[in-house]
Amino acid sequence: MTQSDDRLKALFAMDAPPARDPAFCTEVIEEVMRQRLREDIALLCAVSVIFAGVLWLVWPTLQPALVAVSQGLAPALGAMGLALCAAMILGGRPTSVLGLAT
Amino acid sequence: MSPASLDEALVAAAQSGSTEAFSRLVERHQQALRGFLRRTCGDWAQADDLAQETFLAAWARIGRLKSGASVRAWLCGIGYNKFLTAVRSVGRERARAALYEADRDTTLDACAEDRLALERAMASLSAEQRACVSLCLAADFSHAEAAEALDMPLGTVKSHVSRGRLRLLQVLGACDDAVG
Repeated sequence: MTQSDDRLKALFAMDAPPARDPAFCTEVIEEVMRQRLREDIALLCAVSVIFAGVLWLVWPTLQPALVAVSQGLAPALGAMGLALCAAMILGGRPTSVLGLAT
Repeated sequence: MSPASLDEALVAAAQSGSTEAFSRLVERHQQALRGFLRRTCGDWAQADDLAQETFLAAWARIGRLKSGASVRAWLCGIGYNKFLTAVRSVGRERARAALYEADRDTTLDACAEDRLALERAMASLSAEQRACVSLCLAADFSHAEAAEALDMPLGTVKSHVSRGRLRLLQVLGACDDAVG
């Protein structure tokens, strides 16, 4: 390292950003979280559309069976649905709740 | 815990989805990445935008980062590609360099004059030379590290650094006491 290199380095150092910049870091993490939210919403939309499509396809065969067992199954299905909603609302991401997390 | 092993632990946590760990990585490496991009593109606002884009891309690709790889070099590599894309798509490098010089205050003290001369000299280098100089002369990257980060052959990096350094020293009026 020569004197000239030291001088160059000192001049470069004057333009260096601060070692800690909470505003910048917060901005980046906010954008990361927004991106994650968009991905979650897209995933939920896709799952909903697929589920609706499958339900529409199987509904004619499913309906008579559901009517037959609805008396016994309705409370259990309701409780499962509520549990799934509660898991998502209380902090689980859709991918992990649905078992798709890597 | 050494910085490298701390990075490795944070990368592992971020790869399993921890935004807190990624946030720590941003805190630890924002200075190096933004400094590199500032020196390479010359426009601080654009450099910060590119740094933000770089971190977003890094978050999306964190799963591909190999264990033990240098996070700083990886981020600089992504940042450099973002910079090249921005320059190619808008084609505004020359216009910005010209604007840069036109906007400068002409009544400056000696130190500010040196900084201005350095910025002008940096603007006169090619994008590749600026990137190599920024990493090797300003950020203490080894030539091999810079070659890996910028995806350039080692010899090319050495040549860019050597030519860039000479050019900067010429502009600053410093003698090259490492040569002859």
